Amino acid sequence: MAADSSIEPCRVGELVYPSVAYGIEGPCKVSVGTCGYSYNEWVDSGFYPQGTMTSDMLALYCSCFSVVELNYTWYQMARAEALSRMLESAPSQLLFSAKLTRTMTHDPGSDWQEQLLAFRQGIAPLKDRLLAILIQLPAEFDRSVVNRNYLAGLLGGLEGLPVAVEFRHPSWAIDSVFVELERREISMVTVDEPELPGAFPFLDVVTNPRLFYVRLHGRNVSGWHSGNMQKKFNYDYADAELRDVRDRHLLRMAARSTRGVIFFNNHVQGRAPENAKHLLKILAKQGDSIGAFNG
Amino acid sequence: MHSMVSGFGLRERSILHFNVADFAVAVERVADCSLRDKSLIVAPLHANRGLVYDMSEEAYRDGVRKGMPIKQAMRVSKKAVLLSPRPQLYQKAMGAFLKELQRYSPLIESGQIDGHFFVDVTGSHRLYGPPADVGWRIRRDVRKQLGINPIWTLGSNRLVSKVASRLVKPVGEYIVNHGEEASFLAPLPIELLPGLNLKELEKMREFHLTTIGALAQLTPNQLMVPFGGRSGVLHALSHGIDDTLIHKPSTQTDIVVGEHTFANDTSDRNEVEAALATLVGRAGLALRGQKKVTRRVGIWLSYCDGVQVIRQATHKTGTSAESLLQSLALLALKRCWQRRTRIRYCRLVCDRLQRQSPQLSLFAGNDTRGIKSRHVEGAMDSIRKRFGCDSIGLGRKYRSPAAENRSQISG
Repeated sequence: MAADSSIEPCRVGELVYPSVAYGIEGPCKVSVGTCGYSYNEWVDSGFYPQGTMTSDMLALYCSCFSVVELNYTWYQMARAEALSRMLESAPSQLLFSAKLTRTMTHDPGSDWQEQLLAFRQGIAPLKDRLLAILIQLPAEFDRSVVNRNYLAGLLGGLEGLPVAVEFRHPSWAIDSVFVELERREISMVTVDEPELPGAFPFLDVVTNPRLFYVRLHGRNVSGWHSGNMQKKFNYDYADAELRDVRDRHLLRMAARSTRGVIFFNNHVQGRAPENAKHLLKILAKQGDSIGAFNG
Repeated sequence: MHSMVSGFGLRERSILHFNVADFAVAVERVADCSLRDKSLIVAPLHANRGLVYDMSEEAYRDGVRKGMPIKQAMRVSKKAVLLSPRPQLYQKAMGAFLKELQRYSPLIESGQIDGHFFVDVTGSHRLYGPPADVGWRIRRDVRKQLGINPIWTLGSNRLVSKVASRLVKPVGEYIVNHGEEASFLAPLPIELLPGLNLKELEKMREFHLTTIGALAQLTPNQLMVPFGGRSGVLHALSHGIDDTLIHKPSTQTDIVVGEHTFANDTSDRNEVEAALATLVGRAGLALRGQKKVTRRVGIWLSYCDGVQVIRQATHKTGTSAESLLQSLALLALKRCWQRRTRIRYCRLVCDRLQRQSPQLSLFAGNDTRGIKSRHVEGAMDSIRKRFGCDSIGLGRKYRSPAAENRSQISG
């Protein structure tokens, strides 16, 4: 396959790669975006023009990217009326990933089943613009029997919706977990974070060929456990690091999928959108390597 | 227009509102975890005709309401546990909550021992991250440190964050994004809009203005006919516009406060003045201990029907003399006690403090009465320091009916 002809820009912030998902060669659409879009810091950093109001940010964001991860749904329960209002101002080509609310991941209560139902209703307005529901599990959520049952309950409650699971505890990085996720057609999130003891490894495993899902949190070793978000996610990926991520992970995953999303979470000082734009450039220039990976 | 606003560098504000539902109950449950699953009513136990001060969600569901007579409340909620209010404990919990908030902003306003706080986190994103994350962290820390679970809401102003908190009681959170204020308010019932008085609400019902959105559709000129001078304010409120600032609170060193909750709601002047005299005695001791004088004495009166009135009396040069403080307090009391309804709570606030002038009077020799008073106060302070604040005081303090009854019995 001629690699150059198969890499074509689709929408803003989206590229199409060849893939061999399901054993059938076909295109893999890869989109790059950021975790959240509404940061005042991004005005200070210059990503948004000076004086940009919050209500204008989404439209400006769409001039660079075609996918966004909604992280405010983690802080509060998704509400249909609020999402409907947001969709009114969002360009039609924008696709979404919605983070599952913290009351089902970090602070679960006994009413998590009702919460799950409320979440499903809350994100309903997204309809086919929803790429995935992101279940981000906390670092202390290990592969205990209780936690496995709980996760199975969550996944069961979200049946019929596209789901991606981000593990932070390394005990989940085993083949039986990958096989089960594959059976359920759930994407396991590939996580880039500082290489610290007890961190989940940076894998290129694809458990759902319909969607590979990558989150790049930055590699700020000293700030990771600081408890301060501004230190934790304060990281600027170097060109060489992004090229390395591309070669060792992204291209391999794209070759085994029909869709992929890559989100930057290093939002401090507007680095996430700048790094995302840079990665898009690097990916767009990629030609020969793709051919190599697709054999 | 937009670029003009941007050009002036106006920044969108981020106001967090924290609200602990049933604050007194929440604090009591932290103090005694065996109360967690029980229905609770907080009301003065020894009062003959005491009224409900606070109640738990379970008691509320049974029909108990604030201000309801205890007997009626106990009839409505038979399984409820009755507890006596402990304002000092609630004040302590407020202080601990405030301490958590002060880690993120100096601009905090709080209610009066009710678990309500407004925190302005505008412009702190570089230090602490997005405001929503600050809200979540504070709630997590307060829950961990104090064991209470506050509602938190985020809006571009105090009005919006306040209304949002009314939608998520008794637990939860609500974020209203910038620019969505009017559309957020539009479908809500008009009763949720703060700042409306009863007459205005009645008039709105007459005009079938049942939602905030219906009110927002009217122009200030149209509103002028029924609401007169309030038309501009109502128009702004209905659009979610509120420019009021969150003020930096007075620190402990800027203010001397004392408070008293009456065992039985009272309208007995002697009893109220006696309680006030005790508070004045304590405030005077605190002021003289700090070598400070106050230029304003404020009295907060809470009536048993929930109405609160605040009035002040000022002194040009400032004082810490007990007799003068007493006169100022009585003047403030006279100004705010204009109703026949019984009083439940009173609070004395001495603010506008300044250092006591070290300069002696040029004609000190003629002011023998003043010198004598100071000597008496000095002696009283020595006794109070040794035997407690209320061990000695002005005669007025002991004119309470309870004291008279005691003397009659002993006589």
